[in-house]
Amino acid sequence: MKMNTDRFSLTVDEYLAETNVLFYLNDAVTQLLEHKEEYTQFGVVRYFAEYFTSVKNGNHVLFREFSYIKATPHNRESFIHIFWKCFRQIGKNGDLLAMSEYSSLLQLLCPDFPTEMVQNTARIVLIDDATDCLSFSDFIYSFQIQFYYEEFVESVSVIYQDLLSGKNPNTVIVPTSTSVEQLSGAANEEPDVQEGVDSSIFCECIEGLCERFKHKFPSIVAIKEILESSQRVSFYSFLMTLAKHEGVNQDISALPNKSDLLIDPEMDQELERLIAQVAISPTSNNSSSSAAGQKETSKKASPRKSLHQRKRIEMESDGSTEETDSSEN
Amino acid sequence: MRSYKPQKRDDIGDHNNASGRFLPASVHGYNQHLAAVRSFVPDRATPRAFDLRLSNELKKALNVDAMKPNPSRTDGRLHMSVRHVRAPAPAAESGFAGAQRCVFSLPVALPVGMVADLGPQAFRVKPHRTTSAMSKAALAHTHGSLTPSFLSAIGFRDDITSCPERLDLDRRGLTAVPLPDLHVCVKLRLLNLQHNLLPHLQDLLHLRHLVVLDLHDNRVIDMCGVSALSSLRVLLLGKNRIQRICDLDGLTKLDVLDLHSNQISRIEHVSGLSKLRLLNLSGNRIARVENLQGLRSLTELNLRHNSISHVTDVQHLPRLQRLFLSANSISSLDALACLWDCRSLSELSVDGNPVALESCYRHTLLRCCSTHLQLLDMKRVTEEERRSASVSARKEDEKKKESHKLAAHKERRRLAIQNAAHLWEGLKAHQWEGLKQNEAQQWEGLKASSLEIPAQNGSKEDVSPDNSPAHSPAQTNGNAQETSPDEPRRLSPLTLSAGGLRSASRPNSPRDSRFQDGPGVQSLSMSERHLAELEGETLRLFGPGALETLERCWGVQTASSVTTVSFRYIHFDSIIPTFLRIRLKFPNLTHLKFMETSITHLPQLAALAQIRRLDQITVHPEGNPVVRLTLWRSFLIYRLQHLNLQKINGTEVTMNDITASELMFGALGHVAATETPRCRLLLLLEESRKRQLQFLLDGRGRRIGQSPEELKDNGKHVGDGLSRALFNYPSRVSDGPEEEGDASQRSAMVHQYLRGLVHRASSHSVKGESLQKIWPSLFSELVRDCVLEMRDTQAFRQTCLRRITHSK
Repeated sequence: MKMNTDRFSLTVDEYLAETNVLFYLNDAVTQLLEHKEEYTQFGVVRYFAEYFTSVKNGNHVLFREFSYIKATPHNRESFIHIFWKCFRQIGKNGDLLAMSEYSSLLQLLCPDFPTEMVQNTARIVLIDDATDCLSFSDFIYSFQIQFYYEEFVESVSVIYQDLLSGKNPNTVIVPTSTSVEQLSGAANEEPDVQEGVDSSIFCECIEGLCERFKHKFPSIVAIKEILESSQRVSFYSFLMTLAKHEGVNQDISALPNKSDLLIDPEMDQELERLIAQVAISPTSNNSSSSAAGQKETSKKASPRKSLHQRKRIEMESDGSTEETDSSEN
Repeated sequence: MRSYKPQKRDDIGDHNNASGRFLPASVHGYNQHLAAVRSFVPDRATPRAFDLRLSNELKKALNVDAMKPNPSRTDGRLHMSVRHVRAPAPAAESGFAGAQRCVFSLPVALPVGMVADLGPQAFRVKPHRTTSAMSKAALAHTHGSLTPSFLSAIGFRDDITSCPERLDLDRRGLTAVPLPDLHVCVKLRLLNLQHNLLPHLQDLLHLRHLVVLDLHDNRVIDMCGVSALSSLRVLLLGKNRIQRICDLDGLTKLDVLDLHSNQISRIEHVSGLSKLRLLNLSGNRIARVENLQGLRSLTELNLRHNSISHVTDVQHLPRLQRLFLSANSISSLDALACLWDCRSLSELSVDGNPVALESCYRHTLLRCCSTHLQLLDMKRVTEEERRSASVSARKEDEKKKESHKLAAHKERRRLAIQNAAHLWEGLKAHQWEGLKQNEAQQWEGLKASSLEIPAQNGSKEDVSPDNSPAHSPAQTNGNAQETSPDEPRRLSPLTLSAGGLRSASRPNSPRDSRFQDGPGVQSLSMSERHLAELEGETLRLFGPGALETLERCWGVQTASSVTTVSFRYIHFDSIIPTFLRIRLKFPNLTHLKFMETSITHLPQLAALAQIRRLDQITVHPEGNPVVRLTLWRSFLIYRLQHLNLQKINGTEVTMNDITASELMFGALGHVAATETPRCRLLLLLEESRKRQLQFLLDGRGRRIGQSPEELKDNGKHVGDGLSRALFNYPSRVSDGPEEEGDASQRSAMVHQYLRGLVHRASSHSVKGESLQKIWPSLFSELVRDCVLEMRDTQAFRQTCLRRITHSK
């Protein structure tokens, strides 16, 4: 969460609205009330401290409900960041995954994450429906646009549809005579002949939208930059370029640049440690973590069990040799 | 008919030798016939004397004194035979000479129209056949057989008058009966016309008193008119060309009817013969035994050498004792089923039929037929045989009953599975629809209903179905086509409650209600739309209702024998609540199978973590979209690492798989474990882990200055298992259906509280701000005042002292 240096210049209400402090406070208290038992045992002060620390660190969205995740830009940004952090490795693997798969992954982090969001994201990337799968980087950047700027994307979509059908979008405040001419010209040409809409008109409309838009939107500069690069533009190609725009990405600051997308040395290190742990003793997790489970299994001593363990030992030896091999390399 | 002695006799046609003494020719003829038959019927007993007699009644009716000593017996006989062949000659020649002549002169002397029936004639000479009470009449017959004219010319009239009651005209080559003369013989009782060429019976119909009519070996095509001979008792029409049985209605006194070796293809028009004792239809073309009603006196029925494939109506023969069905084409015991009701049967032959080749044929017959059966296929039935038959019969019966039961059960099983599948399809279709509209709502409803099912016990069972059909309007009942979505909703509770009642009425322990079907398959619970069965070590559950079986108490033995549980047509989310029970109930469970359980996304798989011990998981791609995801296997391995799965969908889990899955999801787990706020963890974890964590937090918590870094380290202490444990399904975060009022009340309170808080905070901040603004001037004012006060040191000192004294 960025600290505004000019926060003292704002009125109370302005400040609260901008920073969503009230929202977080509200949530914190509601949570506290909902889980009174756990949290009083945990310590109310400690709870608040931890809550706001996590908000600051951006890990407060883990395993929260979708409505919460969606509620503030900060939450959205945090969620995108966490998603990246958790599934970077999948991207590194290079597999193309289906939409439903991404949806499943999202649901691992947020159990009630709606599939529509993923579908919309997929629509940005998959211009032709030839393939059903998309790469991790394609997905995550488009997802960022779709999720972070959801309201903006929706509004732009409406504008685009209006433009396509030749209507004068009501978002255009003062249509100049030239633009009207152009518009009619574009309408005459018809999207059949040349797909998309005239980018300058589109740009104007979007600017008009941004001026009075309550929600987050990408910087006008970036939009202008994108729309000026070509004569005509279609909705999804616009979103696609937006997704790939470095500046926009930096503005959101949830994801690293495209070139660094798959790099996270800290996590790699952590992973290595984890894998080593798994490889050396697959059972260690079990024994160290769940005493209850351990007790239960030991209670049920059966011939099968011993066989099981024998197998396990074999597997262990396999794993260890593999491990040494890799370390030699 | 008591004089009729049942005894062991020979084969076909022998009964026609009735009272051979006065029916010599007939005896003869049948003997030949017999010889012919014997050549292909394996013979055991040597032919006995043909002392078979007609009933006394018949004898009386014939009014022939069979025992009358006949001095000229041999001579007469010889004469007869000689005359028979030769042209008219004096009747005083030696038998041998006659015989020889007979042989030699035959070609020459054979009159026109005489058939070359030579063999029999030579045969006839044999002395042991001399039973005939031949006399003048016989001689006369031989005379008469030359030609009708000749017959009339010679003193035929004398013959008739001398013996008006019988007439032998065999082997005369007659093509027509010498009518005018016979007209006189109205009193004729016995007429022997064997071995002639008569084409029909028309000429004989005025012989009203005829009792025995022997037309063996003629050319009779049609038996029409025979009904006119109303006193007829014996009618022998063997070896003719009759194609249809007809016109027998008037012959109410008929005792013996021989129609063997004809071309009859159907048994018919015999039902009026209520006195008929003996019916020979062997050597015909009959395909079915039928139309036998009304033959109340029939004791013997000979149907050998036909093409019979089906036997009916035999049960309508109350006195039937002997039935010969040899050499037919009966191929199954079912075709003989009507014999089982034939209580008087004492002799039966079915040999030479395809059915006789069956292994259990004799046993079955012995078992099913009357207990009076003494001869079967000409073999005596022994007691022992009967016993063993009855034993095998009982066994067979049991087997049959069992198989019936089995079949019925199988059918029910099939239906149950089919219905479950239908229901499932409906559910799925409904779901997809709902997915487009308002998935969440649908989902909730589904979950609610599915969660409800396992929680029910017997008494509630009848209620539960009312919930589920609401989700399955597309359920169809196979043959009943229900197009309206409301209709099944109305119907299904009915059918279901029937099913529910049935299973509810069962004893609670599955052991008692078990239904043995086949080797090792036990049906535990079944209704129209669900089925639970145990086969060996595999427990199979079809349809959501089957989950109810898990609720029951199981025998320790049975429960521990279960190693595999397979689910089909059950929504995975409704299975989840049972995992805990499965875990406790089946200690040796190693394999879980899921078919058509609609596992759609990865988090669902996390629910499997509730199981403590498992070697294998099989998630069938059909009806489980999750299998289409490339990551499902990795995730399963990662999440269920504590189980050390050996196989997933039949493929071995290798170390590489485990490493790969760790690589894929390790980061996720790590992030989850280390970055989730501690307080949040408390909510997410299951009970045991929660306590653990709490303990850890408390221990640390007492120390002052706990840094987030330290907390992060904590994560490692809590264990990496934590990272996995966080992925639960259904997740704890999605709080249960909370009371709306409560939540809104709470949020209102929170809102109010926060408003107050914000107000205070903001007013503080406003105050602080304004203080900040006026502070410099305020400060300088203070300083100035002080300086002014202390300018005159003397006066200030005095004032101070005065203040002190005053204050005392």
